[in-house]
Amino acid sequence: MKRRSSISVGLMMSVSLIALSACEEPRVDASVYESVEQCKRDPLGNPDQCESNFKEAKAQHAAVAPKYATKEDCVADFGAEKCEKAPYQTSTGGSVFMPLMAGYMMGSLLGGRRMGAQPLYSSTSSPGTFRTADNKSAGSKTGRTQVARSATSKPSVKSTTMRRGGFGSSGRRFGSAAT
Amino acid sequence: MLRIPVNERPDLRRAASEHGLEYSANDGITGWDESAYYQFCMREIDEDLKAPAEELEGMCMEVVDRAITDEQVLQRLGIPEHFWDYIANSWRSSERNLYGRMDLSYSGKGPAKLLEYNADTPTALYETAVFQWEWFEQATELGLIPEGGDQLNDVHESIVQAFPFLGINELAHFACNYDIEDDKGTLQYLEECAQEVGLETCFLAMEEIGLNDHGQLTDLEDRAIRTLIKLYPWEWIMAEEFGSQVPTSGVRFIEPPWKAILSNKGLMPLLWGMFEGHPNLLPAYFEDDPAAAELVGTGSYVRKPMLSRQGANIEIVKNGQTHYKSDGPYSEDAHIIQGFQPLPEFEGCYPLVGCWLVASKAVGLCIREDKTLVTSKDSQFVPHIILD
Repeated sequence: MKRRSSISVGLMMSVSLIALSACEEPRVDASVYESVEQCKRDPLGNPDQCESNFKEAKAQHAAVAPKYATKEDCVADFGAEKCEKAPYQTSTGGSVFMPLMAGYMMGSLLGGRRMGAQPLYSSTSSPGTFRTADNKSAGSKTGRTQVARSATSKPSVKSTTMRRGGFGSSGRRFGSAAT
Repeated sequence: MLRIPVNERPDLRRAASEHGLEYSANDGITGWDESAYYQFCMREIDEDLKAPAEELEGMCMEVVDRAITDEQVLQRLGIPEHFWDYIANSWRSSERNLYGRMDLSYSGKGPAKLLEYNADTPTALYETAVFQWEWFEQATELGLIPEGGDQLNDVHESIVQAFPFLGINELAHFACNYDIEDDKGTLQYLEECAQEVGLETCFLAMEEIGLNDHGQLTDLEDRAIRTLIKLYPWEWIMAEEFGSQVPTSGVRFIEPPWKAILSNKGLMPLLWGMFEGHPNLLPAYFEDDPAAAELVGTGSYVRKPMLSRQGANIEIVKNGQTHYKSDGPYSEDAHIIQGFQPLPEFEGCYPLVGCWLVASKAVGLCIREDKTLVTSKDSQFVPHIILD
């Protein structure tokens, strides 16, 4: 039961602390390419791994790319001719859209542990900048570069939500959940 | 244990508005009464409440450990078979628990008796951890209560310290029923605690949760939910439409699935079955157990639904007469029969002592008073101090 000073935990304060730490986030080495060919031409690159890393990124593309219920919404974010149909359908049989891959980020050694390759995208809001599937910037430079460490984490799977409302009925019936 | 009348702080209206609590000029802060406080001595706290609560917690873990492999017990608790392996796996893989509140009948004389364990969706967390502590600090400063007192209240620090050990390394989702302000407030407080240790969070209503084509639960941005800190009981989750998807959803829940065994009042007969005669337990039986008839035959007992909330559908029988009976929506459900240990009376009020456990350590007290023997959502929170 140690004494403590007043503990009015401020939401605003917590948020600003997070913002601060994001600014100070460490940067790590990575390689960014628009294509396998560009990767192979890079004199500083590692041509043996260009193909396998591309395949690794491409394999994740459909699962991790941002998804849209209409082509218009996708085009608004990524530009005309920059969207494709995703290999998924909504529960009512509707199409799902996602941006085309604009490039990929190569795995490099990170603390002795190989960082996985992942697809990159380019949105209309920041042209020329590569962004990960989780909308983290990977910079605008191709070849060897440095990116924020958070950009190198494994991208999340973004599939389409088929249905909502499968929870909540008991709450509507009984009221408070508290005991 | 004493009940001591005291002046309220002069700026109660401001205190209420700072903390987002409901206030009216006539009744003060809804659910809160600081015109009195309870005073405990150190021995009562350490020997009668803290130590027994942690011992009971250990006993509860033994109950879980046994229950997960006992189909008969899982059946009796009303847990659908679909979730048996899921619950067992969550226990075997040591999924961490965050918090819970044990409700005890305690008068300062004789051992505290466990009435029930709100192990899944406990309420009055914010009032305990923040508002009660602020009262203690201000009341001390204003000279309303004696100098040199203390309060059993490490709830806030303990929650903040527990979060890094829950193994959340990506976005943490928080969900509850949006229509209930109290539930929302409690969960928002937990969210602030998570943010205090740098976790990224996202808050949504249970009914907003989606199900995607990979069988994952999703938020409103279609992101897959990895960790869900829910203020929504396990029995509701298991019964609802998306519930059947939960075991394969890849979501880590807090509280973990094995808490479904402890938050059920069937825990009380299970504890009595394993630890009969323990000083902090009351005799308790499933209603269909022949031994329950014996307890009923004594003429004094309490009948409770296994899954009721906030004092609903509780019946107290004293000397063969129904002494108290509350309404509620749970009357059709299975019941337990528990020995009757009335709450003590202090000036016409019946205090129920809630002992908060965070990461299984007893770290806080909350006392709620009612004018009846059954504490409910309309009971008043009364603060406490420790003074020797």
